[in-house]
Amino acid sequence: MSDATRATTPFGLIVPERMGQGLLAIAEQVGGIGVLAGRLVARLVPPRIDRYELIRNCHKMGVRSVGIVSATALFTGAIMVVQAAPLVVRFSATEIIGWGAGFAILREVAPLLIALMFSGRVGANNTAELGTMVVTEQLDALRALAIDPLSYLILPRVIAMILMLFVLNIFGDLVAIIGAIISAKALLDVDAHMFMNSFLNMIDHWDFLQSLVKSVAFGTMIALTSCYFGLNVKGGAPGVGRAVNSAVVAAAIGIFVMDYFSTFVLK
Amino acid sequence: MTIQLEFERPDRERALDKLRAPLLALWRDLAGLYGLLRQTLRCCLAKRPDRQAFFEQAYAVGNGSVLFVSVTMTVVGMITVMQSGVQTQRVLPELSLLGANIIQILAREFAPTVCALMLATRVGAGIAAEIGSMVVTDQVDALRMSAADPVDYLVVPRFLACVVMTTALTYWSLFISLVAGTVAANLIFDLNVNTFVNFSLVGAGDFVVMTLKGLMYGAAIPIVSAQRGLTTFGGSEGVGWATTNAVVHSSLAIIMLDLVLSIVGYIVFPPV
Repeated sequence: MSDATRATTPFGLIVPERMGQGLLAIAEQVGGIGVLAGRLVARLVPPRIDRYELIRNCHKMGVRSVGIVSATALFTGAIMVVQAAPLVVRFSATEIIGWGAGFAILREVAPLLIALMFSGRVGANNTAELGTMVVTEQLDALRALAIDPLSYLILPRVIAMILMLFVLNIFGDLVAIIGAIISAKALLDVDAHMFMNSFLNMIDHWDFLQSLVKSVAFGTMIALTSCYFGLNVKGGAPGVGRAVNSAVVAAAIGIFVMDYFSTFVLK
Repeated sequence: MTIQLEFERPDRERALDKLRAPLLALWRDLAGLYGLLRQTLRCCLAKRPDRQAFFEQAYAVGNGSVLFVSVTMTVVGMITVMQSGVQTQRVLPELSLLGANIIQILAREFAPTVCALMLATRVGAGIAAEIGSMVVTDQVDALRMSAADPVDYLVVPRFLACVVMTTALTYWSLFISLVAGTVAANLIFDLNVNTFVNFSLVGAGDFVVMTLKGLMYGAAIPIVSAQRGLTTFGGSEGVGWATTNAVVHSSLAIIMLDLVLSIVGYIVFPPV
């Protein structure tokens, strides 16, 4: 808002005006993400994806994130056991620790934390990369060469992010359960056999499926927000920094909103 | 001294180097973090911090994040009630103890940790981007030339603001997630407010753990992010990398601190 309009705004309307501007900005971003999603889906109908770019991005986004995802998952599994410990000790039922930690890990915490890490590492980096390309007019150069930037640059990234978060989530679930087993043994003296027994008895395929569905939802959210904010960078190099910041924030909110809806739909 | 070319070195040595490089980098990072933390604490104790800079940073960190943290914590509160309610219904006939257990786990775990992860995303990225772009445009060197210590001038206000505001936002997160959880319990499981809001299981220990977590996370976020920012190199691309690394490393630091503090909390305040 410029100083001229601020001067003409009556004092009582400053707060509603700012709220309205905030809402308009959110509406613009949500609408922009929706339009981007629609244009990407339109390019999937006869699939026009650059295969080399897809494989390169899968390696860059997936394989390079294995370390950070396994560290996160290992700690997450251990933390869930530590937090479930007061409950099972209170009901003197240490044999259900596998179930208590297992459902928390699979249904909620592992997909959520892995997605947040993935968003910080891959999503932010993707925004920075696309943003730098935009401010150095590389996208316009692609258009001048009659190469569609959406199907050459964006679509492989989006598909790679969704696919890789899905795969990393399966791997992370496994690592988190290993972490949980280790900390159950160390903290509550529940051996691995007993842990797995209650885990396998009480956890069914539905819990695992929920984890997978969530990872796809989160991956879509991260991919769309990071590409949208990267493509809409304005104002040179400082603009790239601002875009990265708002992309990560928007992705985090998107992840939590998706989490809410998927939890209530899947029960 | 003769210069040894890379291809002249035996394979065994090169393989060892490949193994050693990440460990050495990790060691350097940890040493850098420890050095920055020590220097920051020394500056905090040596003289009165700049009050105006502190309030500016506290406004940026705290007030700027309230809406973001509130949205996520509302969702967290509702999801926690939903998931644990459905699971409890499988083994227990009634849910009268659900509220007490959920309040305890929100205070011990979810309110401080999720709030800090959100702040690491928003604030950590901001700190690294700000300091990083000052480093690549040589503004930090200009500070040194004017005999102003960059740690004292840039890091200390952010550090103090983060510690205070993360702790405050942790309490705010607990409140918001509790309200959202109460609403969700009322709508989904027909639990009335008096049954759900039950502090019988929450002791002083839970609040000590929660406050301690808030303080430690609040210290970890600015130190990790500022260290990433101060070691930025390679122009505006380097700033992008520093920002990404700040988010990832401070989130990882929070998760590690979470495990350590949770175990300490479990041992010092055993469940009743």
